[in-house]
Amino acid sequence: MSAYRYTEQSEPPAAKQVTDVAIERFEHVFEVDPKLMTAHVAQQVFPNWDTLRIVASRHDHLDWMHRHWADKVISGQQLLDELTE
Amino acid sequence: MTVAPELAEPVLEELRQVLGSEHVLTSKPARYNRARVPAPFPVHRWAERVPDLVVLPGSTAEVSEVVRIANANRIPIVPRDGGTGLTDGAVPVRRGIVVDVKRMNQIKEIDEVNRTCTVGAGISMLKLNEVLARYGLIYPDDPASYPCSLVGGRIGTSGWSLIGSRYGHSRDLVLSFDFVLPTGRVIHIGDGAGRKLSKSSSGYQLKHLFMGHQGTLGIATEATLKLFPKPEAELSPFFAFDNYDDAYRCVGELARAGVATFAGAVLFDEWKVNYLRRDDEAYIPQPTDVRALVCAVAYGYEDEVIAGGKRFMRIARDNGARYLGDEISEGDWAARHDRYATPLHGRTNAGQVVPMSWHCEDAAINYSNLPQVRLEWHEIIRKLREKFDMFDDWGMFTYTSANTGLDYLTEIDVGIWEQELDDASWAAWVDAKRDIAEVALRNGGSISACHGSCREGEVDLVPQELGGGYDVMLDVKRAIDPNNIMNPGKYGLDRAYESAEG
Ligand SMILES: Cc1cc2nc3c(=O)[nH]c(=O)nc-3n(C[C@H](O)[C@H](O)[C@H](O)COP(=O)(O)OP(=O)(O)OC[C@H]3O[C@@H](n4cnc5c(N)ncnc54)[C@H](O)[C@@H]3O)c2cc1C
Repeated sequence: MSAYRYTEQSEPPAAKQVTDVAIERFEHVFEVDPKLMTAHVAQQVFPNWDTLRIVASRHDHLDWMHRHWADKVISGQQLLDELTE
Repeated sequence: MTVAPELAEPVLEELRQVLGSEHVLTSKPARYNRARVPAPFPVHRWAERVPDLVVLPGSTAEVSEVVRIANANRIPIVPRDGGTGLTDGAVPVRRGIVVDVKRMNQIKEIDEVNRTCTVGAGISMLKLNEVLARYGLIYPDDPASYPCSLVGGRIGTSGWSLIGSRYGHSRDLVLSFDFVLPTGRVIHIGDGAGRKLSKSSSGYQLKHLFMGHQGTLGIATEATLKLFPKPEAELSPFFAFDNYDDAYRCVGELARAGVATFAGAVLFDEWKVNYLRRDDEAYIPQPTDVRALVCAVAYGYEDEVIAGGKRFMRIARDNGARYLGDEISEGDWAARHDRYATPLHGRTNAGQVVPMSWHCEDAAINYSNLPQVRLEWHEIIRKLREKFDMFDDWGMFTYTSANTGLDYLTEIDVGIWEQELDDASWAAWVDAKRDIAEVALRNGGSISACHGSCREGEVDLVPQELGGGYDVMLDVKRAIDPNNIMNPGKYGLDRAYESAEG
C-alpha cells in the first residue's frame, strides 16, 4: 500500500487525444475533451482515486445486473468461433 | 398551509383520521417533489403542477376511503407510483391530492405451484425479483426504468418491456388486480372469479381497459403477476455495420427467425452511433466505418440459448455484421437501464457541452415503415435545433415488441437544455412532438408503444389515432368517473363532460 499524497491524487495523468471530442487519461477511461467544457459547464478538480472508484463500481454494477437476470452469460465469441470452425 | 379551499380543515381532518397524520403530507418538499416526472418541461412553470396535498395510503381500504372523500368533495386525485412516467401522467395539472402508493410495497403471496405472486402496487420489479430469485423464479417485466418504476405505474401505463418479445409486456404479465374506482368502490379486474387465470372468455375483457389509462379511471392497489423460471443463461451479441440498410435487414431477419429464446432485437441508427461516439466508452474507440448497430438477446436454458445463439450469429454474419466482442456486448446489455437515458449532458450547435435532460419520443411502428419514419423524425429535430440551440438529436433506436418481428418500439432521444426552455422554445418543442406523432400515424403506427400519449402536442392526435374508439373512451370516462375527479385534464377527457352539459 502506498501513502496518500494530495498532489498525486489531484493531478491526473497526461491526457491522450483519442478522438476530436474525447481524451483518455487512464487506460480505457474516456473523458469528454475539456476544451468542450469551457462555456457552460464548470470544471472541478477530481481526485484520481475517485475517477477509478467510479469506473470500478460501474463494473460491479454491470456484473450484478447479469447475475440478477440469469445464472450465466453465454460468450458470443465462442458461438461465432464454433460457427467458423 | 397552501391547500385549496376545498381541502380545508374538515377534509384534512377526515383524511388524517383514515390514514394517520404522518401519511397526510402538506410540506413544500413533499408536494414539489411530486409535481414533475423526468420528461423535460419549462421549469419556470413548476408551480403550475404542484398538488395541494400528498397522501400515502397503506392498504386498498385506505385508498378507497381517500377516493371516496375526494369524490364527495370534488377534489382532483392523481395516482402516483415511481413517478418515472414520461407522458406527464403522474403530474397534477389541477392541483388536488396526489395518492402516492409507494407504501403498498409488500409481497403478499408467492404461489410456487401456479407460478404467480401477489404484491402491493408500490413494489419495484427489481426488489420483487431479488426475493423471487430465492425461489428460482423471475417476474420479467423489464422496462429501461426497471430499478425505479413500480408495478402500479406499469398498470397505469400498460408498459413495454425490453424482453417482452419473449415474456410479454405488462398487460400479459399482470394477471389481475384490485382496483379502486373514482367513487371509492373496490373491484377486482382480471379473468375468472379468483386472481390467477391467464385466459378466460367470460364477459367483457376489462383488463386491457383498466391498464394504460394513465390513472384516469382509478387506482390499482394489489396485483397478481405471472412468474417464470429464472433464466439459466443470457446472450446479447452486439453487431456493427457500415451502413443502416444492412443493419435494418439484419434486425428484421433476426426478429423473424422464430428462435424460441429470442427476447428482443434492437437497431441503433447512424445518429445514435454518432451520439455514442461522443460520450460512450464502448463506442468512442470504434472505427469511423461503424455506422449502425444491432443487438439480439436470448434468455432461457443454457442449451437452448446456445442453439438459438448460433442461429443469431449465422444470420448476422450472412448480413455483413461485425461482432463487437464479448466485453461490449455484455456490458452494453447490462447497461440497458441507464446508459442511453441519463448522460445528463449534450452539445450546442457549436459543440460545447451543456447540461441536458433526456426526452424520448416513442411510437409503435411496423418493420416496413421504420426507415421512412426515421428520416422524417430526424428532419423534425434538425429544423428545431436550427431555430433553438437547446435541443440535441441523440439518435434513434428501434426495438422489437413481439417475437415475430412485426412491430417495433421506435424511439428518438432528444437532449433538452431544460433550464433554458422559455415559452417560445417550449411551444416549438410541443409542435415538434405533434409532428413526430403525425409521422407515426401517417405510417400506420401508434403515437406510443410504451409511455402513453397524454403529453402536450401528441395528445392532440389521440382522437385521430383512435377514431370512433375515442368517443367510446369519452363515454367510458363519464360513466366511471361521473365527477371527473380521477386525474382530470389528461387525454383531453374533459370533453366527456362538456358534451354531457351541451
Ligand atoms: C430512464 C427511463 C426509461 C424508461 N423506459 C421505459 C421502458 O423501457 N418501457 C416503458 O414502458 N416505460 C419506460 N419508461 C417510462 C416509465 O418508466 C413507465 O411508463 C412506467 O410504467 C411508469 O411507472 P411508475 O411506477 O414510475 O409510474 P408513474 O410515473 O408514477 O405513473 C405513470 C402513470 O400511471 C398512473 N398510475 C401510477 N400508479 C397507479 C396505480 N397504482 N393505479 C393506476 N394508475 C397509476 C399515474 O397517474 C400516471 O398516469 C422509462 C422511463 C425512464 C425515466
